Amino acid sequence: MPDPVQNAMLTELGQRLASGSLSDATLQRATESTPNLAILPWVNVVKIGGQSIMDRGRSAVMPLIDEIVANLPHHKMILGTGAGTRARHVYSLAIDLGMPVGVLTVLGTAVAWQNAQMLQYLLAKHGIAFLEPEGFPSLPHYLMERGAVICQGMPPYKLWEENPEIGRIPPQRTDTGCFLIAEVFGARKMIYAKDEDGLYTADPKKDPAARHIPRISVQELLRQDLNDLVVERAVLELMLTARNISEIQFVNGLKPGQLTAALDGEPVGTIIYNAEIRRGDVV
Amino acid sequence: MSASQAAQHVVSRLMRESLVDKKVIAGTEAPVRAILPKLNVIQIGGLSIMDRGREAVLPLLDEIVANQDEHTQVVGVGPGVRARHIFAVGLDLGLPTGALATLAAKSSAQNAYMVACLLADSGFVYLEAPFIVQLLPAMLAAARGAVFNGIPPYDLWEHPPAIGKIPPHGSDAGSYLVGEVFGARSVILLKDVDGLYTTDPKTNPGAEFIAEIGAAELIARKLSTLPIEPTVLELLVRAKLAKSIRIVNGLVPGNLTRALNGEPIGTLIHT
Repeated sequence: MPDPVQNAMLTELGQRLASGSLSDATLQRATESTPNLAILPWVNVVKIGGQSIMDRGRSAVMPLIDEIVANLPHHKMILGTGAGTRARHVYSLAIDLGMPVGVLTVLGTAVAWQNAQMLQYLLAKHGIAFLEPEGFPSLPHYLMERGAVICQGMPPYKLWEENPEIGRIPPQRTDTGCFLIAEVFGARKMIYAKDEDGLYTADPKKDPAARHIPRISVQELLRQDLNDLVVERAVLELMLTARNISEIQFVNGLKPGQLTAALDGEPVGTIIYNAEIRRGDVV
Repeated sequence: MSASQAAQHVVSRLMRESLVDKKVIAGTEAPVRAILPKLNVIQIGGLSIMDRGREAVLPLLDEIVANQDEHTQVVGVGPGVRARHIFAVGLDLGLPTGALATLAAKSSAQNAYMVACLLADSGFVYLEAPFIVQLLPAMLAAARGAVFNGIPPYDLWEHPPAIGKIPPHGSDAGSYLVGEVFGARSVILLKDVDGLYTTDPKTNPGAEFIAEIGAAELIARKLSTLPIEPTVLELLVRAKLAKSIRIVNGLVPGNLTRALNGEPIGTLIHT
């Protein structure tokens, strides 16, 4: 087959990419040493929990809104929302009806979308916009002008969501979607605001003997293979292959000041870090 | 915590449960219903078929049309060499995997749109991802087939891969996932090789042909190159409905028809 592109390819790697198999591990390895551009290095991704924050209504959401507004002059934020109890209801119903995981993802996305829309009504008077994935090219402009944008936390996989290893719940939900936003933009911080002070040895809502873990490596956490976690397992697995995000932080969004402290770089809540980040040079 | 701060719950089996809890997750195992059990997902390779132009593409599309009365077909299309080019430029500029995935998806959209134009007078429609979600079942009741972008809509949310930066979910994975979510009767990947070999048959004449193999076994064999994306093998291991894919040579007339008729052509990789 004639190859009109090959000779015009920019680099030696480009020539290999044009003709080689992308599943070839030596070709994949050759892409490791390319430069890493941090697209929005000053942005902070903050995930607002669904069941943990939004479902609690005014008493939980309003103080957190006030704290976000107070931080607008100091920190640029992408605010992603979780889904919560309505997602649990629709997942239960859809599983009962025999729906596949991709359909559950479409349904769960609608719940995260509802929470994002509610959050936007509350922040609208501060000029904060809600962007769907299709609107993301405009995101840098909104961040520069207004300091924050809202998005729904689910990744836009829709029917293309992968099956979980066990069970029927979509494995990549709003924790994962927000993490991947932070990773692709090379964000300054990935902060999860939930209703606990971070990670415990067991679910503190159910086990009074659960102990708080202030800082732990993702490698250690995966090795412990805990039955329950503060975050979706997919996030921990993606941390191992991420190039830009080397740590994620979990704060209690019900405690005033915790989000601010995390934005200011203080070690509140729990930090999960990658002990073996393969970062390379950032350009 | 004050009473007014308690979460307001909707009653369900998963109410108040942690969806990360392994026991809760295991408790959700239940049968899945096939939404479109008569569907056949056909994937046309980008580099292997599309980039060859008229000579390779037109006979294949004739064969798709010839099978229209017998088989419901939706056609996914790969991006080919233009994606390789934008990967090269993007990598040189330092772009992350999610940005590369967003860019490459436009190359496969171009190919899919061309295939849709060529199949238009046979009643095929081109559906972008949001329309696959909303309209595919209705379109197949009204239209005679559909063409879609093989690359899944992962965009900026594409996973950073274990090695390097190339997006791991390409048009093979995207086409397979359409088959899985709709519970398709078959997923057929059309390439320019007869199926799976122990090494690349284009560069190694001693390569041995593999007619049928389990996905887990194939992963364990760690072959240096595969004619499909390795991600598809991981997806097959966790399949609920689409429990096999067939790789056939789309340059050989009659192969697609034989695959649609369930004959053992090419390579079958199963769960």
